Amino acid sequence: METQEAQKQQRSEPAKSTLPQPGRPVPSRAYPGALIVVEGTDGSGKSTQLYLLKRWLEIGGYRLHFTEWNSSPLVKAATRRGKQRRLLTPTTFSLLHAADFADRCERQIMPLLQGDYLVLADRYVYTAFARDGARGCPEKWLRNLYRFAPIPDITFYFRAPLDVAVQRILSGRPKLKYYEAGMDLGLSYDRAESFRLFQARILEGYDNMVESDNFVVLDGTLPVNKLQKQMRDIVASRIDLKRFAPHAAEAE
Amino acid sequence: MPEPEKPEKPEKEKAAATAEPQQPAAPPVAAKPPMPPLEEEASLPFFGEPLVGFDPSEISGSLIVIEGMDGSGRSTQISLLQEWLESEGFSVQTSGLRRSNLVGRDIDQLLAKNAVTRLTLALMYSTDFFDQIEHRIVPALKSGAVVLADRYVFTLIARGVVRGINRDYLSGLYAMALRPHLTFWLNVRPETAFGREFKKAQAISYWEAGRDMSLSHDLYWSFIRYQTMIKREFEAQAKKYNFIELDGEASVPTVNKLLRQRIAEHLGIRGTKYAPSSALAHLWR
Repeated sequence: METQEAQKQQRSEPAKSTLPQPGRPVPSRAYPGALIVVEGTDGSGKSTQLYLLKRWLEIGGYRLHFTEWNSSPLVKAATRRGKQRRLLTPTTFSLLHAADFADRCERQIMPLLQGDYLVLADRYVYTAFARDGARGCPEKWLRNLYRFAPIPDITFYFRAPLDVAVQRILSGRPKLKYYEAGMDLGLSYDRAESFRLFQARILEGYDNMVESDNFVVLDGTLPVNKLQKQMRDIVASRIDLKRFAPHAAEAE
Repeated sequence: MPEPEKPEKPEKEKAAATAEPQQPAAPPVAAKPPMPPLEEEASLPFFGEPLVGFDPSEISGSLIVIEGMDGSGRSTQISLLQEWLESEGFSVQTSGLRRSNLVGRDIDQLLAKNAVTRLTLALMYSTDFFDQIEHRIVPALKSGAVVLADRYVFTLIARGVVRGINRDYLSGLYAMALRPHLTFWLNVRPETAFGREFKKAQAISYWEAGRDMSLSHDLYWSFIRYQTMIKREFEAQAKKYNFIELDGEASVPTVNKLLRQRIAEHLGIRGTKYAPSSALAHLWR
């Protein structure tokens, strides 16, 4: 704790806010923290992998914060109600998730990045781009909606073939939910079939972002431990983990 | 966030042209804003891109917006206009902020708790807005009704801008909003608005005084400074979006008469004679 405080005292508050302003591009490295994001379709294995990465870092004593898509307590009740009563349209579905993300971004992600933390995010804005895009929201509108989001230091994209991912979900879940299965798109009356068609669109959306958004593509069909090894190696090589260690000052 | 350039989709032309006369061309705005000014007559139904899954050719009603700061007399005028239009045989639907079934009450709770940050609040308001567009305004317009909107995207944009949210960001957010046929701006001095608002509740609320912005510890000055900022923002929007500016300081009957004249012209109503029923007579002063 003391070393952390000593470190923080050295950093003076910048005269101009380095927080991303909605609508202005985020200046890269305007904050000392680091952001690691996992993305991929349902059943791609991303949450398992991020959990294992988090455990690795936690056991190592690193300063970190974990955040999940669609989890802001302020917005959760509205989303739940909208889903239960099927009030959501592609536009309001998208906006509610953006409000949820904005709440986590303004109250957790940005302050922690400023405060020199590692932030791990299970799904990020790319989920909205892929999923809301599959629902027909214009890409230009979606990109604008989320342009206050800090750009991740690493975005892992867990890619699993459609059949593998769909099978994982269908075998593990008693019943697919209405919006989860993309029933609102009217693709099919059969939930499993609708889910499959919806996921295919999302997968395509992700694939289209690989280059433009610098995804690190990992093979979601590999054994869990092999995949985790790859993930840890990439994190260790790309991020200066020492600075998030408990005794960073002494180690140097 | 990188913004890949995609070719603009051709915007659908609205088939049913309105009775609105040609408006003078607005001055060009720099750097292609997502929400372009009304350059032609209101032939395009959206500010920018169309609402997902919505066919604009199905619209036959009229969207009439009344804008103005707190205490400008919007709600009073809308009650009176609704009665007048109904007496003229028009079906009327109203809308306003925080009235959606989806999140109206959630926003009330967020405001009461005051734990919410500016962007989250702005996005909750936009959710509320689009829920009403999709579930209230569009169905009413399809059925040929006159929609009277108590505030619209202009207030939402103004509130965001004065809190430091980028104007282009907000314009882009509301690019899928329907363009109103008529937008009235009831312009009043903040000092007048203060008196009216105070009289309503014998107090000034946290939000209408803009207290989240730390402008002043003095409630009166906080209100004046906040509402002045909002007013300036309306002034900036007025030309761009062809507001019909009315003097909100005038008496209720005077403002109402001007509104009726302009709306009658738009809807093709011949006479504009109106006196409120006994139920609304108390507003007529």
